[in-house]
Amino acid sequence: MGWNVACYSAAMLCALFSTAALLHLSGGDVAKAFSSLVIGAFGSQKALLGSLAKATPLLLVGLGTVIAFRAKIWNIGQEGQVLAGAMCAYWASLWIGPLPYWMAFAVLVLAGLAGGGALGLLAGILKTRFGTSEIISTVMLNYIVIFLLAYLLDGGPWMESGVTVAYHQSPPVNTMLEWPTLFGQGSAKLHVGFLLALGATALSAVLLERTPLGYEIRAFGSNPTALRFRGTDISRLLLVVMLVSGALAGLAGAGELFGTSHRLRAETLLGIGSSGIVVAMVGGLRPSGAMLAALFFGALKSGAIYMRLQSGTPAGLVSAMEGLVLLFFLCAAVATRIQVTVRSEVHA
Amino acid sequence: MLELFQGPLFISILAAMVRIATPLLFSAMGELVTQRSGIWNISVEGTMLLGAVVAYVIASTTGSPWLALLVAVLACAALSLILSFVTIVLKSEQFIAGLALNLVASGLTLFWFQTYIIGRDPPKFAGFEAVEIPYLSDIPILGTVLFSQRLLTYVSFLLPIAVWFFLYRTRYGLEIRCVGENPKALDVKGLNVGRRQCLAIMFGSLMSGFGGAFLMLGYSDRFVPDLIAGRGWLVVVAIIAGNWMPFRVVAAIFIFALLEAIGIHAQVVGVSIPHHVFLVLPYVASLVLLAGLRSRTHQPVALGIPYRRE
Repeated sequence: MGWNVACYSAAMLCALFSTAALLHLSGGDVAKAFSSLVIGAFGSQKALLGSLAKATPLLLVGLGTVIAFRAKIWNIGQEGQVLAGAMCAYWASLWIGPLPYWMAFAVLVLAGLAGGGALGLLAGILKTRFGTSEIISTVMLNYIVIFLLAYLLDGGPWMESGVTVAYHQSPPVNTMLEWPTLFGQGSAKLHVGFLLALGATALSAVLLERTPLGYEIRAFGSNPTALRFRGTDISRLLLVVMLVSGALAGLAGAGELFGTSHRLRAETLLGIGSSGIVVAMVGGLRPSGAMLAALFFGALKSGAIYMRLQSGTPAGLVSAMEGLVLLFFLCAAVATRIQVTVRSEVHA
Repeated sequence: MLELFQGPLFISILAAMVRIATPLLFSAMGELVTQRSGIWNISVEGTMLLGAVVAYVIASTTGSPWLALLVAVLACAALSLILSFVTIVLKSEQFIAGLALNLVASGLTLFWFQTYIIGRDPPKFAGFEAVEIPYLSDIPILGTVLFSQRLLTYVSFLLPIAVWFFLYRTRYGLEIRCVGENPKALDVKGLNVGRRQCLAIMFGSLMSGFGGAFLMLGYSDRFVPDLIAGRGWLVVVAIIAGNWMPFRVVAAIFIFALLEAIGIHAQVVGVSIPHHVFLVLPYVASLVLLAGLRSRTHQPVALGIPYRRE
């Protein structure tokens, strides 16, 4: 345990140090940038709410990724699944009749889950029926969904009409359908999706550690042959995992749309998917770890805005940092395994 | 729709196809060698981007596109050492390492772009000019499509033949393929598996960077962070669609390029179909192709499996 913590702390320090070096080399003020980053992320109640709000979709996508990656099913279509969830929920919001608020809310949540889940399921079917690698098919589906959204918002039926400048975005969603705010107001507020994400964290932990399905997921990841001999329906397992994984990403998209941005727009949603993968990996493919990682990266993203205003450091620094953290954590993960082998040799 | 296939417009479409396909050919031939050595490298997108950025920086400061190309290729070869370390030495999950590299590349590019380019007058750079081959460029249609291109375009036509020759007719090529199929056999013979994979990764990254640099210097008038725009992924798909065989990969690349070329022209001519349809077609087509391609006999058996000596 101590060794693990040491490895991951070292990885985090390496990532921070290389980011600082990068900033220094480009002529930035490292101390000012980092301090404004921290103040922007945690400095006030408003900043804290902003960080939690940014962490919400990352956590949901991260959880979906954890479930898939634990089974060594390499779903990397989170980007498209987030968009699909948002699009499906938006589409539902156009059709929704005069329903009591809680029912309308439930419809939107389900639509988000369904949109992302359907896209994940599609990649699963391609895998089970045609043997198509999910790594490739999910990436292809990402692009297909991105182009579909581009069409819908650029000359298509969802484009905001009647404005002089085309922004490639939808008109605002019906204010009656916006997700309720838990705390805060204006630009810094936390919507109810945060609670959904916390709930999903607990459910994922229970699913992975305490249910037969979770056992199958973990077993499929570590020894698929043994699981096949046990008589488990591998195809079914694969489809369920892809469905759940995609659905969580879809919920993240719906939450961003109805909780934060209130307009369907590609720019606000792109990037959540890849950050979610980083969250899952850095979180050690555990729901609790993903929660910590999501809070960390959410804080980074939220603080980056303040950092840019205060020190003029481009927000792109945070994107670079994400990749660096992932790279160093990959190395650290190997280092932790070395300790395990050394120990098992000692005991043997 | 039909007017796209007549007269000068059709020639223009074919010329666009060659223009789109040739940078990808470099990247694809490199990635093919990497994958045949059993390494599932999906960092083509990021490597191409790095190649393009370095090429742009060097070309705009020194004014020499050839020097820019050289430095870009060297930078990408150096980058490949990270991937080699993580996948061969640490034996970590290969595609996650590739994903991390993609993130680092796009993040660094964005940071660099926001620090040095945005809000300023972007530095000018000298790119590659078209070279018309005497006599051949006068041939109707073919002359415009094939023989009035950049010098490197002609190189890219020869490259698949060279890669095919290397993989199938040289001893080292055989060893590279063997590493992808049965690394243990090679190891038992006393040949170094890791070194061959490392060199294959380096060749792949180098060629990916070459493709990105060529895209920048040959066919772009300014740098945008989204320059590569999924082309690296298209390269990976082309290799699978081409069943890991050099000339089929080339065919896949040209088909994808043709679809994109039609899309661009349809937008200009004002065909009633939204141009997004053509842009998305390569991805849909590859998905359908992949699903139809059930007997993937040429996929290297050890692709993506880190080699561990027992």
